[in-house]
Amino acid sequence: MAIKLTGGEIYDPAHQVDGKQQDLYIVDGKVLHELPDNEKITETHDLNGCIVMAGAIDLHTHIGGGKVNIARTMMLEDEHAHPHHGSHICRSGNGHVVPSTFSTGYRYAEMGYTACFEPAVLPVNARQAHMEMADTPMVDKGGYVLLGNDDFLLSMMQKNVSQSAINDYVAWILDASQCIGIKVVNAGGVHAFKYNQRRLDVDESGPAGITPRDIITKLSRAVHELGVPHPLHVHASNLGIPGNFKSTLATMTAADGLPIHLTHIQFHSYGTEGDYKFSSAACEIAEAINSQPNVTADVGQIMFGQTITTSGDTMMQYFGHEHAHPKKWTVMDIECEMGCGVIPFKYRDKSFVNALQWAIGLEIFLQVNDPWRVFLTTDHPNGAPFTSYPHLIKLLMNRSFRNDAFNIIHKDAQKMSNLVSMDREYSLYEIAIMTRAASAKILGLTSQGHLGQGASANITVYRKQDDVEQMFAKPTLVFKNGTLIVKDGAVIKTVKGITHVVKPEYDMGVEKSLTKYFDDYQTISLPNFKISTDEMIECIGNEVEVHPCTPK
Amino acid sequence: MQFEHVTCPHCGILCDDLTIEVNESSLKPLNVDHPHCIRGFTQSSFDSVKLPSAKVDGKNVSLDEAINKAVGVLQSSSQPLINGLIADVQACRKAIALTDKIGGVVDHANGKYMRANIAVMQRMGKVKTTLAEVRNRADHVIIFGAEVLDRFPRFLDRILSPEKSLGTENTTNKTITIIDSQAQQDVSKSFDQTNINYLRLDMPNLESIIQVLQSTIQSPDKVDEAESNITKTIKSVYTKIFDSQYTTIVWNTGLLNTDTAEQTVQAITLSIKELMKEIRCVGLPLGGSKGEITANQVATWQTGIPLPVAFMSGTPVHDPVLYDGSTMLENNEADSLLWLSTYSADDVPPETTIPTIVIGHPNMGISKQTTVFIPVGVPGIDNRGLACRTDSVATLPLQKIRNSDLPVASDVLNKINEML
Ligand SMILES: [Zn+2]
Repeated sequence: MAIKLTGGEIYDPAHQVDGKQQDLYIVDGKVLHELPDNEKITETHDLNGCIVMAGAIDLHTHIGGGKVNIARTMMLEDEHAHPHHGSHICRSGNGHVVPSTFSTGYRYAEMGYTACFEPAVLPVNARQAHMEMADTPMVDKGGYVLLGNDDFLLSMMQKNVSQSAINDYVAWILDASQCIGIKVVNAGGVHAFKYNQRRLDVDESGPAGITPRDIITKLSRAVHELGVPHPLHVHASNLGIPGNFKSTLATMTAADGLPIHLTHIQFHSYGTEGDYKFSSAACEIAEAINSQPNVTADVGQIMFGQTITTSGDTMMQYFGHEHAHPKKWTVMDIECEMGCGVIPFKYRDKSFVNALQWAIGLEIFLQVNDPWRVFLTTDHPNGAPFTSYPHLIKLLMNRSFRNDAFNIIHKDAQKMSNLVSMDREYSLYEIAIMTRAASAKILGLTSQGHLGQGASANITVYRKQDDVEQMFAKPTLVFKNGTLIVKDGAVIKTVKGITHVVKPEYDMGVEKSLTKYFDDYQTISLPNFKISTDEMIECIGNEVEVHPCTPK
Repeated sequence: MQFEHVTCPHCGILCDDLTIEVNESSLKPLNVDHPHCIRGFTQSSFDSVKLPSAKVDGKNVSLDEAINKAVGVLQSSSQPLINGLIADVQACRKAIALTDKIGGVVDHANGKYMRANIAVMQRMGKVKTTLAEVRNRADHVIIFGAEVLDRFPRFLDRILSPEKSLGTENTTNKTITIIDSQAQQDVSKSFDQTNINYLRLDMPNLESIIQVLQSTIQSPDKVDEAESNITKTIKSVYTKIFDSQYTTIVWNTGLLNTDTAEQTVQAITLSIKELMKEIRCVGLPLGGSKGEITANQVATWQTGIPLPVAFMSGTPVHDPVLYDGSTMLENNEADSLLWLSTYSADDVPPETTIPTIVIGHPNMGISKQTTVFIPVGVPGIDNRGLACRTDSVATLPLQKIRNSDLPVASDVLNKINEML
């Protein structure tokens, strides 16, 4: 049984295919380039006039875990204002800014996404994050587990333990939380906030006597030495503060040349120039990315409108709470591990700061030369809901559209941005890189993000249109592992998706000191803290795929 | 056989350090001594050769017959209410899926105790903490209502009186201020720990004390002028907050007057937010003793909104006044009831004359009026489960420690759902 996709223009940057017309076959959920002799074609799709890409992969989107539920609770009006009817195959739901789980899965699939990664999994809340993701159908999932503000790591660093001991702990937490990467949020800052410290810069010592730089250095080395494909995923210090680009540059160097991913870097690219003492440092940041091949970033583009910001960064969320819209905010200290802050926000094009934030994001996109090292995100929902991706793609691909949008933002912000002077327009090939090929590569998903022989048949087909926003919003066909799940932008079949994890090897001896730590200080025992693979499958409801790590 | 690290779902703290001895006909916790914790397990003992049978109209029937009848009841109902939800994540998921399909209303048995905290979260957000932060970081804990410690029997020992903590001498040996009003019994004699400061104020209820604390925090100087014993005492609590590094304020909405609980929780929240301008202070609402935190978390992620959720319009709608489960029953607004209650034999359905399906604890005494009774395994004993703790952050596994042939609640609900 084979499905034939014939006549489509293929964009497969992993194999340098740039719009070539080529037939593809789907057999047993895999992509094939030739029809095997013994296979019969049971279904043919004529894709003349269509663009074919691998399923898109969102490497940073807040779709599961306690903070998302807090956000949903605080956004009741938004939930009720955007009801989603169910059908004989789909569950009903609510929400535009932070949709219910089922709706999230359907909307992502309807936009041609086939995998989403939750970037802020708290170890103690990992079960819930996975439960929510299990109830997010259609797409594959994965999580980055949070370290770098946990008392256990900080005490290890205070004791000056060896790098290999830290590596064992990092590998253990990946295993225990069923995650694919390590994330650090305001390294040491969230911990410092628990001691009423309201700011912490990269080279300042926190209450534990450790600097954020130390933490980034140790963790990026651990991730590298364990051979975890995804680099340390870093939410840098001083989010949102004018002048924070210096902390961001310092954070990049903290990795000592090892791979480091800076997330929602738009929020970390601010200078202090001009009348408002708030300016774009996109040029400095892009230049730093361009000159340091170990650095990757996703942008965290903002879009104008109502959203809600959910972050582990209690320190900076508390700092920003005065800008809440509507006026409400939640801050939480969590379990000697982390924290979270949830604040609704309305970005306005007539606000100088918001207008410039919008421009800064685009400036970064347009000034980072290598599309393999800059990723398309809005840090859903922090910069904007993920459903604004098609609009963002149009801003990147269409200069006149972009300039028209620029011309209506706050006039003073226009003066502070050189966006109109940038004539770069992203090509379909480059969009395919930053939303598929590069995301799969940086996550170590070898069978995804491309359309090579044997790839998982996650395929998105768009009917060519002049308006790329329309085109990317409503793919004509989406296949998930060879199953046709979306037709003309609507779900026609539901599938579950799986969870991608890594399990780097480690010395089980690490459990000795961890057991003592859990017994002495924690409120959960170590055996119950750990999520076993059979619990993932039997109780939480996620199939697990383990991706290999190559220790260095 | 003995099982270690067993999680106890009988209060929102979800202690997971129990050792349970399991014999053919009995369950016995070996390392806890509070009667509530012990009874949580002993009441689930049964003779495994005499398993309770499913029943229709009081007569023993097969599981399939009971499920068929349940499907019939739901199909002929125009306004079904799915209530109880005293269950693990898996069963709550299926119960909400079922309500979505039949266009009913779903709520938790303890729904009315959750509303105040949720409403304040919706309106102004919160400053909260979790149990391990309290255990290690808090040097000062204020508890509104000594009865909190009865409702959460091991909170004082496990969380507030740690042998060691990650902080200092002051976080290990916390200052604990317990505040009661005249509405509460004087329990000063029950505390012999020297770090506990028990205050029973000459005020009619906890609400009024909380209001005084809020006004003290918002305008500390004003209170000085109008000295009374109460304001003096509250002022000393206020001073203690400023002398401490990390004050945690603990309450349980079940101890507050339901009609005004929302204002009271709001007063606590505003107080904490005011204090946060200068110092660290956090809230810890305790609840979830019948699994309501779990049920509400599942509802919120599956539908985008908290309990109660109504599906009559085809999409999920939250309205705590219109769709409060117990009020709907009192006002005869539902014409069938599905009662899901798996942790304890005590949590029987409310009395009602409408057709009732009970998916319940195997030792539950069921009235003859009950249309369908399907005894199911107890999560954490007969089947594996997942539960959310009072702080809405920690999630714990519930172990399977006994082999029984009882069906699993989530499977039963799923089967009913598929046949609808
Ligand atoms: Zn993020």
